[in-house]
Amino acid sequence: MNDKASRTGKIYITIVFLLLYIPIVYLILYSFSKGTTMTNFQGFSLKHYGELFNDKRMLAIFLNTILIALLSSVCSTIIGTMGALAVHNAKRRHERETLLSLNSILLVSPDVIIGASFLIFFTALKLPLGFWSVLLSHIAFEIPIVLLLVLPRLDEMSPSMTNAAMDLGASPAQTLSKIILPYIQPGIIAGFFMAITYSLDDFAVTFFVTGNGFTTLSVEIYSRARQGISLEINALAGIMFIFSLILVGVYYWIETRNTATTGKKSIVEVGDR
Amino acid sequence: MSKTIVELKNVYKKYDDGFTALKNISFKLQEGEFYTLLGPSGCGKTTILQSIAGFTEVTSGQVLFDGKKINDIPANKRQLNTVFQDYALFPNMNVFDNVAFGLVVHNAKKDEIKTRVHDALKMVQLEQYANREISELSGGQQQRIAIARAIVNRPKVLLLDEPLSALDAKLRKDMQYELRELQQNLGITFLFVTHDQEEALAMSDEIFVMNKGEILQNGSPVDIYDEPINHFVADFIGESNIIPGKMVADYQVAFLGHQFECADAGMRPNEPVEVVIRPEDLVITTPEQGKLQVKVDTQLFRGDYYEILAYDKAGNEWLIHSTNASTDDAIVGLTFGPNDMHIMRYNETEAKFNHRLESYED
Amino acid sequence: MKRNYRGLFFTPYVLWLAMFVIAPVALIIYYSFFNIHHHFTFANYQEFFSSGTYLTMTANSVLYAFLITLFAILISYPMALVISKLKHRDLWILLVILPTWINLLLKAYAFIGLLSHDGLVNDLFQFFGIPAQHMLFTDASFILVAAYIQIPFMILPIYNSLTDISDSYIRASRDLGATKWQTLTKVIIPMTMPGIKSGIQIVFIPSLSLFMLSRLIGGNKVITLGTAVEEHFLTTMNWGMGSTIGVVLIISMVIVMLLTNTKRKRRRTS
Repeated sequence: MNDKASRTGKIYITIVFLLLYIPIVYLILYSFSKGTTMTNFQGFSLKHYGELFNDKRMLAIFLNTILIALLSSVCSTIIGTMGALAVHNAKRRHERETLLSLNSILLVSPDVIIGASFLIFFTALKLPLGFWSVLLSHIAFEIPIVLLLVLPRLDEMSPSMTNAAMDLGASPAQTLSKIILPYIQPGIIAGFFMAITYSLDDFAVTFFVTGNGFTTLSVEIYSRARQGISLEINALAGIMFIFSLILVGVYYWIETRNTATTGKKSIVEVGDR
Repeated sequence: MSKTIVELKNVYKKYDDGFTALKNISFKLQEGEFYTLLGPSGCGKTTILQSIAGFTEVTSGQVLFDGKKINDIPANKRQLNTVFQDYALFPNMNVFDNVAFGLVVHNAKKDEIKTRVHDALKMVQLEQYANREISELSGGQQQRIAIARAIVNRPKVLLLDEPLSALDAKLRKDMQYELRELQQNLGITFLFVTHDQEEALAMSDEIFVMNKGEILQNGSPVDIYDEPINHFVADFIGESNIIPGKMVADYQVAFLGHQFECADAGMRPNEPVEVVIRPEDLVITTPEQGKLQVKVDTQLFRGDYYEILAYDKAGNEWLIHSTNASTDDAIVGLTFGPNDMHIMRYNETEAKFNHRLESYED
Repeated sequence: MKRNYRGLFFTPYVLWLAMFVIAPVALIIYYSFFNIHHHFTFANYQEFFSSGTYLTMTANSVLYAFLITLFAILISYPMALVISKLKHRDLWILLVILPTWINLLLKAYAFIGLLSHDGLVNDLFQFFGIPAQHMLFTDASFILVAAYIQIPFMILPIYNSLTDISDSYIRASRDLGATKWQTLTKVIIPMTMPGIKSGIQIVFIPSLSLFMLSRLIGGNKVITLGTAVEEHFLTTMNWGMGSTIGVVLIISMVIVMLLTNTKRKRRRTS
């Protein structure tokens, strides 16, 4: 692959990249400001981080958010992978198409619709709003993306692979555990990570179904930001940025390790949502 | 007389969309023989293989293994193994684990697994490759591993689904010898599927020629080559000149306005027939000496012979294999003997064809 | 054999489909026919389609979403095009993805600072001699921030469809005498239409309902369909009207899907 981009092209993308990153840099930069506003940087200080770490409420919310993200990702990865197997094994073409269109509904629906409809749903079920309603909602909207990340791996797996396992005497359970799951593992990992980011990133759905007692970081940031600037949020942004970087790093590490053995790429292909 | 190991009785396979992949297939495979299912893609040959292996269910009819009906027995409980067209080697395991897989799922002991994997790898001359990853192997080596993996369970029948199609021409020829040798060493039945007639002719004890879900003809490679049952088989196996003619009487055939002595009999007087003459049986001579006169159109040098394309006055195309070059646009004569011609009737069934042949051949 | 196990995979997934996809959509349609006193009525729809407020709101939402999508395409297409030609394009596209891993709320929050009266943007303006502007809580700032957030999601599908194009098509086009510009407009852009369309899907639909952005950046001046749904569900508790607006959103979503739907299966098989 040669570098064929023109000079103007390079200048153009430099500007766009600057615009993409300025708000993020700006946000994190002010987390180190002595002042209390996001204007006029007033010298380096870690005091906002100090405030953040002493904020018991924020710490609890942070742990809630992580707990919801991990639990929902594990559940959605399991159900989503099962769904991918179900879609993959669909006998008729229109059965597969129907399942896939139903699957994509939650992916393309506006967040408010998902939030509002889940709110109606939980109320109709008389399920109290709080941890469980948030957890169930997160599982629900993470499942379709997991399925979409696992299914291509399944589809590209040659049918003779499973036939070969059966032919050599493996039971269906052995075929699943020894052949299919190892083969689609990169897709499952990608699905798991994507589910975590969907969970951490979600605001609107959680906002609708969270009730009074339970909050996640997104909702907390929203309610604080509506009250105005507080550099504690900037400090939180700094922490979350590092957290995202670690997550991305771990993800790409796993991804490249898999690419090295199977020569497949996937995240960029489906990173859009 | 050896024993029947696999038998298909009146097998049909119909898909939901109404497509019939197999139409009334019946045949028997004996122990220790090399069989080939030969036909163009989509003719149903792989479907037969899959219904024997258990990857697909037949719509009606019986599949018998060792005299027992196995229609409802799942693939993992059938005592035969398959070599797949794309090899289907498990990418998450190395060579040893791939070959050992069939033993591992049968809970074999560790020592036994070791010896048997070693033996299987030795059979395919790759015993030193046990610790390699699949991605490190060449296509030819992957092919051998796929065979080793399939024979490690000591099946009575090995099914091979176009296993050589992904290899280059030279390697494919070598593998033909090796497969034949392997089959003889193992002494088990091979059922080989291919669309390559050369492969089929080179390796098989018996060939089943298929088209559109039906077996058109079965027999030894020589029988099928020399006495194809119909236009399709004659055209599919080897190259041939097929000319419409008329059977004047037994051993007398007429085409292109001449009457010739031939070696076939048992047909109605003046029955319309097709005459097959293989390109290598045509001899080029002077126009006066020739039984037919043709005009040379083009010729290609094929290395061991010249392939000459010529046309007769009626516009029929003639393909001639000759060790000597000819001249473009020259009028030449063609000669051939009575035994160089093979006469085919229209729409003759295999049973009637065999019966007719027996009636006049000794 | 396979069938027994298929049931095992099917059950949880189909249960999910029934409970969290079909039931909620059915419920929202059902609720849209009830007024605040739980009586069956068509009044919500009558009100929606006769009231100037709701119709202006719909028009505004569509207009804003259209502008957001348009800006996103105009900025993203050249961006994707240049990146796809770079040597380490995988690395550069990673840099495009990275901001999407940062919480949406934090990015919106950053703009509260950036666009504030004494913020960076006004500092820049003053540097060039432009007087400080009140930018926060305006329609323009809402569109700007929304476009900022959506740009990576527009770049990715376009980039993917660009990298799917084999170099031979471009060479063939040049070989046949097309100029660079002709190659772009007659070969590259038509071949990347699926990417553009899926980018439109990804950007346009959420843009119809970005209520948190309109609250944080647009203030309460910009009332989109999204904010209306939120208000009816969480503030005025008029779920019937909220559901009605929700149904309108669902229908517009379906329209956008139908307009931009392409047979993308080809890409999977080739």
